Amino acid sequence: MGVITDEARSWATAPFPAFEMVISRTDIQRFARAIGETDPVYFDIVAAREAGYPDLLAPLYFPYIIRSHASHLVSANQLEPDGSASVDVPPLPTDRAMAGETVIDFGAAIHAGDVITMEKRITDLYEKEGRSGTLVFVTIEFLFTNNRGHQVFRESFTRIYR
Amino acid sequence: MSASLTPGDAIPLITRTPTSIDLFQFSAAAWLLHKIHYDLPFTTESDGHPGLLIHGPLQGTYLMQAVQWWLGSEIRPTKIAYRHSAPAYLGDTLECGGSVTEVRDNSFDVDLWVRKLDGTVTTSGTATFNRSD
Repeated sequence: MGVITDEARSWATAPFPAFEMVISRTDIQRFARAIGETDPVYFDIVAAREAGYPDLLAPLYFPYIIRSHASHLVSANQLEPDGSASVDVPPLPTDRAMAGETVIDFGAAIHAGDVITMEKRITDLYEKEGRSGTLVFVTIEFLFTNNRGHQVFRESFTRIYR
Repeated sequence: MSASLTPGDAIPLITRTPTSIDLFQFSAAAWLLHKIHYDLPFTTESDGHPGLLIHGPLQGTYLMQAVQWWLGSEIRPTKIAYRHSAPAYLGDTLECGGSVTEVRDNSFDVDLWVRKLDGTVTTSGTATFNRSD
């Protein structure tokens, strides 16, 4: 018994527009504080330059905030009642989701002043029969490139709906 | 420092007890709007959780910090893979650690985990980091 309808398949193949973010020092400082970093290369431009960086260094998982902005920087009527972005919710009979595996490939470091472009696509959509019913697996790939054409980050994230 | 890495080496534990301010800062920095991280009545009444959830990606950062707080922020990974196996709630104290599993000339592999004080693993994964000698 399949729950992945043609509607869900066309949701999965619809293109997402690329999202561009100009990375400010404040963006980096704010995220670094939020995760409890203390190394001054994330906060202090003098320390960052002395360490050999062109500007403030972004913490490793900084691209997460780019993809979160890409989803949530929308008008209120494009959000679900739980605050998630409607565009991210596949048309399935359930919206009960669990996080599956996250796989990240790291490329060039991100610094303040970089312009990062994020491309997003659904790379996998399939179902499996579990003990408690049908599970639907959705894998989303996020590809991040800087304004010098270097890949800085690639994240593949699987959500499981049941 | 990384020159002396040996398989089996333990990554020094980092212990974190995120407060409501930490959860708010993470949501705010990411412009993340999911209510399960700040709206307690919604989270308990509509979503059936006993408390506000500690973000999965915040736990992902703990995995990366366990290695970088040990060896320095110039030590960068090439790859990391992780998954969540149990929820973590506001008020939980989380320990993050792991061990070195393989050492090569230019890189090394680690196992990483986040667990509650009762031993429940909430997030675990593997990573490959570049050595800088």
